[in-house]
Amino acid sequence: MKVAVRRQRLPARDRWLAYGLLAPAFCVVALLVGWPLWVIVQMSLRPGRALELGKLLSQPLGAGNFERVLGAPATWAAFAHSAVYTTGTLVPAFALGLVAALLFHRTFPARRWLRSLLLLPWAVPGVIVSISFLWMFDASFGVVNSVLRRLGWLSTDLAWFVDSNTAMIAVILPTIWKSFPFFAITMLAALQSIPATLYEAARVDGATAWQQFVHVTWPGIRGAAMLAVLLNTLWTFREFDIIFASTGGGPAGATETLGILVYREAFGSFRFGTAAALGVVMLVTALGVVAAGYRWLREETR
Amino acid sequence: MTPRWHRYAFAMLAVLLVAIVLFPVYWMLVTSVLPSSIVLSRRPPLLPPLDAVSFAAYAEVFHRRPVLAWMTNSAMVVAGSTVVSLTVATLAGYSLSRFHTPAQRVAAATLLLSKMLPGSLVVVPFFVMFTTLHLTDSLAGLILANVSVGVPFATWMMKGFFDTLPRELEQAAKIDGCNELQALWFVILPLARPGLAACGIYLAIVAWSEFVFARTLVTKPANWLVTVGLQSFVGEYLVEWPALMAAGIVSLLPMFVLFVLLEPFLVSGLTSGAVKQ
Repeated sequence: MKVAVRRQRLPARDRWLAYGLLAPAFCVVALLVGWPLWVIVQMSLRPGRALELGKLLSQPLGAGNFERVLGAPATWAAFAHSAVYTTGTLVPAFALGLVAALLFHRTFPARRWLRSLLLLPWAVPGVIVSISFLWMFDASFGVVNSVLRRLGWLSTDLAWFVDSNTAMIAVILPTIWKSFPFFAITMLAALQSIPATLYEAARVDGATAWQQFVHVTWPGIRGAAMLAVLLNTLWTFREFDIIFASTGGGPAGATETLGILVYREAFGSFRFGTAAALGVVMLVTALGVVAAGYRWLREETR
Repeated sequence: MTPRWHRYAFAMLAVLLVAIVLFPVYWMLVTSVLPSSIVLSRRPPLLPPLDAVSFAAYAEVFHRRPVLAWMTNSAMVVAGSTVVSLTVATLAGYSLSRFHTPAQRVAAATLLLSKMLPGSLVVVPFFVMFTTLHLTDSLAGLILANVSVGVPFATWMMKGFFDTLPRELEQAAKIDGCNELQALWFVILPLARPGLAACGIYLAIVAWSEFVFARTLVTKPANWLVTVGLQSFVGEYLVEWPALMAAGIVSLLPMFVLFVLLEPFLVSGLTSGAVKQ
């Protein structure tokens, strides 16, 4: 943060311009981010299922929704599922993104086109990712089971998305596929900012390829990589589309993450109060992750 | 300099990686051009038998479902929300980049907050708001919902981009007699085209992919967006896979074209702005 140093007051004319340009964005944020957040907090603190704001605000304040949510085993199960889903996606997606970034940092023919194709999964809507994987992992006619059977690794018709033992893996795989390009892009950009002279110096000193990676490459991309990890963790933690469109949280709640549970409470059971309370719990968790991650990030990038 | 054969070896590796990564898209395409009799097999051929290739599934899905209407709805929401978000975010991003005000911290906090709010939760207050304003089942409502997601991130992205343009540009323009707004319009914005392109394509792809808002705030099938329409196939008792894959491929095409053509802008735009601090 190099901003804080210059702390003069802006001249009046510039102040008008600065805030004038910001005004539309301020309206959007106040109306479409701030106001919804306020409604969520109000809903979480009031009993009943009122959807009309007037009725809602006439209810007494209380922590009943939070008590109900924190006392429900489904909440803690969803917490566990979210943790497994997030880490299960993060680690392989990071590894794949790093490998892709290191490879595409080299020069080779048709690199620009191949890079576009490699990053394409990012542009595929979550719902369509789900549909594609549902079909590939179909029990009888799916290509994955067919290949596994041909290789002799599978003898039964494993229903990946329906079997409660494999459903979590089945929803993690498409999520990895959709999220690795983000890691690849950010780390590729960081790699390109490392000066080539550092590698020349390392080679002159007789460093091996591994030593170059540990002492030149990794320190150069660590900050960007950690930021990408943090952002992707937040993204996966609240991910909804892929799970909803494939298992819907099933079978028997095996893939019910917090994001899915919130939606089911709100639009399945119409318990908006508990849904909002659960959402606030989610938000506080995410804030905790960000606070921890921010400190860690500052130390890492120092 | 890398030896020549090294470069071809890397190219081969890259082709292999891309082939593995794009297999799901390839498989959608293969399924969509084959008849059910071949597709519904316990040993589906990995390469499509060319004499069996037909586009019957495409004709069928367009005939039996309003895929084209869904895509038109999606396109309208994407166009509306991208234009609004980009305009608002460009002005705000420019202000944040050029003037140091307390708004910078607010903007950063808003960005983080909006990244943390799950869509499946935010949709509840939008549902309340739209029921009161009679905006449910309208594309205008969906545009507003998408703007709420787009503006915080796009603002930060544009700020990052404007940060890379030297301030001397405006000073020179002022010496030539421009006022601040003229300098922004005639000097800065033309130079910011790559950033605007990156930001626009980002916003468009996010809006095209959006699902929770579209599913919850719109109920009439005629008003569905393409993501909601395609998801509706899955719950059916007998999924017609070739038809579903055909619809999937068609719905991917617009964003794929946009992405492949503009991807260099996106990579440089993302990296000059959002990622670095």
